[in-house]
Amino acid sequence: MRRGQIVSLVGIGVLAGGIATAVAVLLPWLPRPAAREASRIDFTIWFVIVICIVIFAIVAAAILYSVVRFRARPDDHEDGPPIHGHTGLEITWTLIPMLLVTAIAIVSAIVLARDGAQGKNVLRVNVTAQQFAWSFSYPDAKGLTTGSLMLPKGRSVLLRFTSKDVIHSFWVPEFGQKQDTVPGMHPTLHITPDRLGTFPVICTELCGLGHALMRAQAVVITPAAFAKWLKSQSAAISSPNAAVSGAAVFKNNACGACHTLAAAGASGKVGPDLDKLAAYAKQARQPLESFIRESIVSPNAYIQPGYPKNVMPQTFGKSLSKPQLDSLVKYLAVSGTKG
Amino acid sequence: MTAVTADHELAPHGRGGWGLLFRAGWIRAAWMSCLFGAFGFGLVVVFRWWGGWQPLFDMQVITLVSMLVALPLGFLAGIGCFDYFPTRPEDHSGHGARSWRDYFRVNTDHKVIGVQYLTTTIFFFFAGGLLALLLRAELARPGMQFFDTQTYNGLFSVHASLMIFLFVIPAFAGLANFVVPLMLGAGDMAFPRLNALSFWLLPIAGIMMLSSFVVPGGAFACGWTGYVPLCSTHEPLGAVFFNQGVQWAGASSIMTALNFLVTIITMRAPGMTFWRMPLLVWANFTTSLLVVVATPFIAGSQFFSMFDHVMHTSFFDPTKGGYPLGYQHIFWFYSHPAVYIMMLPGFGIMSEVISVFSRKPVFGYRLMALSLMAIVVLGFSVWAHHMFVSGMASWLRVPMMITTLLIAVPTGIKVFSWLATMWEGKLRFNTPMLFALGFLSMFVIGGLSGVMLGSVPIDIHMSDTYFIVAHIHYVLFGGSVFTIFAGIYYWFPKMTGRMYNERLGKLHFWLTFVGFNLTFFPMHILGTEGMPRRVADYAPKFADLNMFISLASFGLGASALVFLYNMITSWRAGEPAPSNPWRGMTLEWQVSSPPPIFNFDEIPQVVGSPYGYGMPGAQHAILAPARTAEPEEAGVT
Repeated sequence: MRRGQIVSLVGIGVLAGGIATAVAVLLPWLPRPAAREASRIDFTIWFVIVICIVIFAIVAAAILYSVVRFRARPDDHEDGPPIHGHTGLEITWTLIPMLLVTAIAIVSAIVLARDGAQGKNVLRVNVTAQQFAWSFSYPDAKGLTTGSLMLPKGRSVLLRFTSKDVIHSFWVPEFGQKQDTVPGMHPTLHITPDRLGTFPVICTELCGLGHALMRAQAVVITPAAFAKWLKSQSAAISSPNAAVSGAAVFKNNACGACHTLAAAGASGKVGPDLDKLAAYAKQARQPLESFIRESIVSPNAYIQPGYPKNVMPQTFGKSLSKPQLDSLVKYLAVSGTKG
Repeated sequence: MTAVTADHELAPHGRGGWGLLFRAGWIRAAWMSCLFGAFGFGLVVVFRWWGGWQPLFDMQVITLVSMLVALPLGFLAGIGCFDYFPTRPEDHSGHGARSWRDYFRVNTDHKVIGVQYLTTTIFFFFAGGLLALLLRAELARPGMQFFDTQTYNGLFSVHASLMIFLFVIPAFAGLANFVVPLMLGAGDMAFPRLNALSFWLLPIAGIMMLSSFVVPGGAFACGWTGYVPLCSTHEPLGAVFFNQGVQWAGASSIMTALNFLVTIITMRAPGMTFWRMPLLVWANFTTSLLVVVATPFIAGSQFFSMFDHVMHTSFFDPTKGGYPLGYQHIFWFYSHPAVYIMMLPGFGIMSEVISVFSRKPVFGYRLMALSLMAIVVLGFSVWAHHMFVSGMASWLRVPMMITTLLIAVPTGIKVFSWLATMWEGKLRFNTPMLFALGFLSMFVIGGLSGVMLGSVPIDIHMSDTYFIVAHIHYVLFGGSVFTIFAGIYYWFPKMTGRMYNERLGKLHFWLTFVGFNLTFFPMHILGTEGMPRRVADYAPKFADLNMFISLASFGLGASALVFLYNMITSWRAGEPAPSNPWRGMTLEWQVSSPPPIFNFDEIPQVVGSPYGYGMPGAQHAILAPARTAEPEEAGVT
């Protein structure tokens, strides 16, 4: 290669690399991390991106230079020089990529190990996934169950997953970490939230018709606020009749993830608005209480216009006990007509 | 020899009346399909009556046995795929095409079969593309506009299945079917009837997948990966159409691959050692190794999934002790090598096109062939990188990451060698070369995002997001589909005997290249920002980018119409093609366009490298003089 060729090649390469770098840096494509694991993952991404941009720039430079410089004139019917190979060059572009991928593998393995390493005083949360809702329970707080994932900032959290039906996947983009929930297995996932805020919990494994709607919230609060929240919630569930109180059944089954109900502070938008139950029952021409019962036990019997069929789980008829179902129906009949 | 090639007896035409009913063809196919279907129906009912099972008419079992197994067998028998008896030596009655009608019957000529493959796969390419445009229409705005979620999930599932099983894999098989025997200096494939059978399995598979939309309950809606237990126990009957469709397409793949292996090993012209084979032949040799070893695994996974669905077995049903991750391991043990099944033949096409249009030998020929073999071997050791977040044994992740990243090395060797092939060449930018350059640049982006996904921590964040959708389209569309287009334009003169319209070809390339990048590049950003894949609805903050992508995708869809128009008009009335329009050295360019019915009047003698460009007097092969050259001479006695 002549010197002029090298200069032009480097010039084009720097230009291509510059454009690629600008795209990577200027576009807002990574969510702002809210967990230590996400920050480490971001570091890995940038580490690999730099290598990728260099390789991309080399290839782009070679293609662009060849296209411009080696274009055949229309009247030129000669062949190019018969170069069959170059052992040194071939060894070079075998060894250098090998070194680069080795570096990537080492960095990735270290990050993976550190992301999985639990800190002291781990908070355990059991996550239950079902078509198409999440629920979160805290075994250290007498099995307190909620529809939103409340987490204290700065503490190591170990999520343990259970799936009631098919495979789902737990992902909070700001936490970086992701884990499939497989029926019959109980995989775990480690997260250390380090930023206050409310973040979406997204199901990323296709789980059926309501897959796009299977969302919940992860809320990171200060350790003090978390302790206070835990205390107030535990007090509520340890009161007599709590296990069968309609409000507790509503909460423990994560109804609020999909439904709005002012009395429970729920604002889900997936299913029908339960504050309008009286109007719905009128539309369906059924008495209110039996309408509510039927809608829980066999949701497809009547579908409120504007909402999809087969999205509401059809398992509540089996999973709720008779007293639980009765109190839930009563609770909804009362609070749903106030709104 | 020329006398023999000139006129072969075709199956006797014009015997009307009852003869028509029993002669291989569409009429016999129609009534035999009905007969076999009815037989399957009867079989199920008789057995259920005998066993005392209720209900007697179980539509699920009847559909499976009668419609998805027996009826296609009846069709194959009727159309003439099994007319092996009486066997007559040197019987060439089903060989070659004299009119368009010969493309619609069982034909044993590898050139006819190649064209049958390509036209069929292009039909399914358009069908699958249309489904993708419907998806993008729904995704243009948040909320649900046109479809319910069942239909939406069906759209992306059938889109992927058609593109993978009915377009990319068989389109490569079609190109290779036409080209490989010619490149080897062989008269045909080793097993012409098996070759015909493997083509006729394809339309069955495609129609099965498409028709699942009209099945009660809707199309299979669990993605082309068909993960259990969603696909086995929570899906409507349409899922069985996917399970069975994959079986027919898979059987076709395996038969073709066996055929290629035997052809390449045993039918090379004298003098053609393995190190004198064109890289396209090497690519199809290695691809066939992958297919033969890997495809039975997806067959197994789909059978077990279907048994769980229809027969209530519990291979993967966790409520009865089944193991859902077992499905994923078996599935990806095929479906990762399948990624290379969809890429290695494209690598072969690239080596041919880049070398010919640069007027230079392929740089580092032996290392190019060896890196194909390296990809085959490594390709079997990386499947679990699709399962980093699946909950499998966590120690498996780092070893699978290392093997995955290592595959970048042989792939990099190929890319750098193509660049070096172009270096100091005499580049000509005909449409095949444009698609080759488009492939090089897009495949590098797809390969690099693949390296990113190979790293476990990055994959944990990215998996099942739109980043994956972007990556897969950069390697399968920017990679495989671009090479298929390059191959179709490159061999179009050889296949049809006519030149394609160069201006339309270039227009097609630029529209595709721009539309492709505008459609798929923004998906990287959507994914990392937090948009999961396979969703019918999404958060309002992704609305603008999705609208942009949808608009770009309609442009990309329109570009395919330019291709279609060019192919149809050029095939009908293009300029007659010379035998060697690109001045290539491989054997297919040394015979007329289209080639004589048995390819070579005399088997050529191979004497050197297929890429001796720039070496005065270099020759790949010596052919029998004069007779072979011009098209009008080919048919003369």
